[in-house]
Amino acid sequence: MCLAIPAKIVSIDNQRATVEVGGLTREASVVLLPDAGLGDYVLMHAGFAISLVDEDEALETIRLFEQLAGGSFLGEGPSETGLDGLSPGGTGLDGLSPAE
Amino acid sequence: MFLFLRLEITFMVSNSNNDRRILLAHGSGGRMTQELIEEVFGTAFANPFLDRMDDAASLDLTGRIAFTIDSHVVSPIFFPGGDIGRLSLTGTVNDLAMMGARPLYISAGFIIEEGLPFQDLQTIVSSMQQAAAEADVEVVAGDTKVVERGAADGIFITTSGVGSIPAGIQISASGARPGDAVIVSGTIGDHGAAIISRRGGMDFNVELTSDCAPLGGLVADMLAASSEIHALRDPTRGGVAATLNEIAAASGVDIEIGEDLIPFQGEVRAACELLGLDPLFLANEGKLVAFVAQADAARVLDAMRRHPLGADACIVGSVAAAERDHCRVFARTVLGSRRILSMPSGEQLPRIC
Amino acid sequence: MPLSFLDDFRRGDHVRALMNRLEKSAAALERPVRIMEVCGTHTMAISRHGIRQALPPNLKLISGPGCPVCVTANSDIDTFIEMALLPGVIATTFGDMLRVPGTRMGLAEARGRGARVQIVYSTLDALRLARENPESKIIFFGIGFETTAPTIAAAIAEASSSGLDNFLVLSAHKTVPRALTALCSTPELAVDAFLCPGHVTAMIGPHAYDAVVADYGLPCVIAGFEPADILQSLIMLCGQLAVGRAEVALQYTRGVRPDGNPTAMALLHQVFSPCDAEWRGLGVIPGSGLAIRDEFAAHDAARHFQVDAGYSHEPRGCLCGAILTGLKTPGECGLFGKACTPDHPVGPCMVSSEGTCAAYYLYETNDVL
Ligand code: SF4
Repeated sequence: MCLAIPAKIVSIDNQRATVEVGGLTREASVVLLPDAGLGDYVLMHAGFAISLVDEDEALETIRLFEQLAGGSFLGEGPSETGLDGLSPGGTGLDGLSPAE
Repeated sequence: MFLFLRLEITFMVSNSNNDRRILLAHGSGGRMTQELIEEVFGTAFANPFLDRMDDAASLDLTGRIAFTIDSHVVSPIFFPGGDIGRLSLTGTVNDLAMMGARPLYISAGFIIEEGLPFQDLQTIVSSMQQAAAEADVEVVAGDTKVVERGAADGIFITTSGVGSIPAGIQISASGARPGDAVIVSGTIGDHGAAIISRRGGMDFNVELTSDCAPLGGLVADMLAASSEIHALRDPTRGGVAATLNEIAAASGVDIEIGEDLIPFQGEVRAACELLGLDPLFLANEGKLVAFVAQADAARVLDAMRRHPLGADACIVGSVAAAERDHCRVFARTVLGSRRILSMPSGEQLPRIC
Repeated sequence: MPLSFLDDFRRGDHVRALMNRLEKSAAALERPVRIMEVCGTHTMAISRHGIRQALPPNLKLISGPGCPVCVTANSDIDTFIEMALLPGVIATTFGDMLRVPGTRMGLAEARGRGARVQIVYSTLDALRLARENPESKIIFFGIGFETTAPTIAAAIAEASSSGLDNFLVLSAHKTVPRALTALCSTPELAVDAFLCPGHVTAMIGPHAYDAVVADYGLPCVIAGFEPADILQSLIMLCGQLAVGRAEVALQYTRGVRPDGNPTAMALLHQVFSPCDAEWRGLGVIPGSGLAIRDEFAAHDAARHFQVDAGYSHEPRGCLCGAILTGLKTPGECGLFGKACTPDHPVGPCMVSSEGTCAAYYLYETNDVL
């Protein structure tokens, strides 16, 4: 549907930003994401920044995977997804997952 | 008459700018052709064969000969890491090298669109000569034609070449055998990514550089290390995916590669992620894929890594007997499951969806 | 150099651990379930990472209508091609459109007949073309869902405010929630849950799926696009299915905010208004298209060029329609892999590399399925 990949804003001037992906930089428009600032990770789609990448959420998700892979998972309590009300099942990975 | 008039005008305008351009008259066979040959080609490629200005080069060749031809129509004609001149020379040299041959002599045909800046032609020809020197081959025959504006895209170059195949060398696309190791000589997709990012106006601030390089020396080192190299191919158009499928079909085998074993440059991978391209489908112009008996794989790999053009070489997979009556190429994914790696189809275009 | 927030979600040890967990979750299900991945980019990722082959046998992933190229109706393609063939026009669009066959010809063929067709990566590139070629009309073929439509809206707004009158858009955009509810109301639809598109949701926000859950009782999980994301989302869906619950849940927490992207959606609504749209395979879905508003009529190619594309029809024998609704798989199409291959696509599902047929062909089989 829509390819978008995380890119880091390395310079920003009004609605134009320079973003970096794996050592490669190019121009991007931040007109759709006025809150984006220097150093932020954004999702880039067709030359536009469309959403901020929430680094804390990303790290939290990685931490969950880490625990799952390390086998230390089942003892953990339910984890927050960061969006209350939306996801009573949590991440699906927590010890209270209905599939358990 | 009209044509003549137009040419005269072009010529005057060109001269007044001190910005010389190739004109139809340069391909007419007359005085201007002579000048062009002497000024550009003769100077760059000077060698005893060419200097004689005979109708054909007369060469002393013995034993088995590899003989090939390749036409080059790249757009843009100048790209980071090379140009159509370098590309046209290395393309043919590499085709010879993939037969295990030692590349020796090259002939080149130039089809030039009128209006090409003289300076551009000079640059192209001198980078061709530079590549010839690297490859230790000589350009011994050539031809030039100039066509009307619009009939070509700047310049097209066709090169053919001969090389001698040392006694005992049996390398062929049909030579891969079950059990062979699959080795790639370095990072994948560099040329294709450089061209696409240039052509698409991608404006990456870091330039992706083509890997365009002659591989004769690398192949010679490999052959010195092992007599069990069964097949070689340079993964140009269609990339590694096409090459593996071609070898599988020609040799009647299945091939499996591990996706995590393929070496990529970070920037190329990033460009592919951004543009929605698969690096396995992108062209390479200075890489090869080798099919080597498992027992000799480490030795060949070692020899490759000692050569500057093989420093990043690695084993990426292996050959197996065909499971079905047609041959397939598999990629082992991060999940450990196998997916089919098919021939790429059509032009690789940036996509957003 | 590792790619931040991409490679982290492709790690082998994580992905294998998630797969183990998914097997356990699936084992707890009482019956086999069918999950539709709505989005074509998910289809591609699933194929590319070999996820379909690795799934537990009672879990089936089917591909939905989420490839913007595939759902573009022939009539829209034909209209754009007619425009591309007009003198003084530079036709621009995204790479995937180039090989799409229309009723009579595709864009690549139109290019062969003298049309100027330029592939761009971004509408920003099309705007630049418009500035550099003031004597030409630059027509951009606007395809895509809510992720892409705001980027086209931004270009139209910019062209409008900077007086770039030679930039025009043919809008064939589609919106996702309407299509999903239309799909849900298809009586034959045999789907137990939806894997929802993370990037569309980054724009429209997670609540856009509330109706699917409330009216049809089908679980929805909004998923990222890396293998770990997809597997975690499937685990979350199994969890809901196992207890008979249906909710909108968010796996792609790093990319999606609770209210989506209000700036982008405001711009989208400023430039476009909802209209009925024809979807290939789904027919006309009321209110699921985006028409350029009167204020921006100067940039509306449909109003500017009154072309008559003539009679449009869908290719014969092609099952794209049933495939897009998840009723059939590519292997059930008699043309698949024979008359219809990526080199000679018959239907749009084969043309786009994320089309269901192309994804099956490229990544899953050279054989008849
Ligand atoms: S295989 Fe081709 S003809 Fe058949 S449904 Fe897919 S796109 Fe249509």
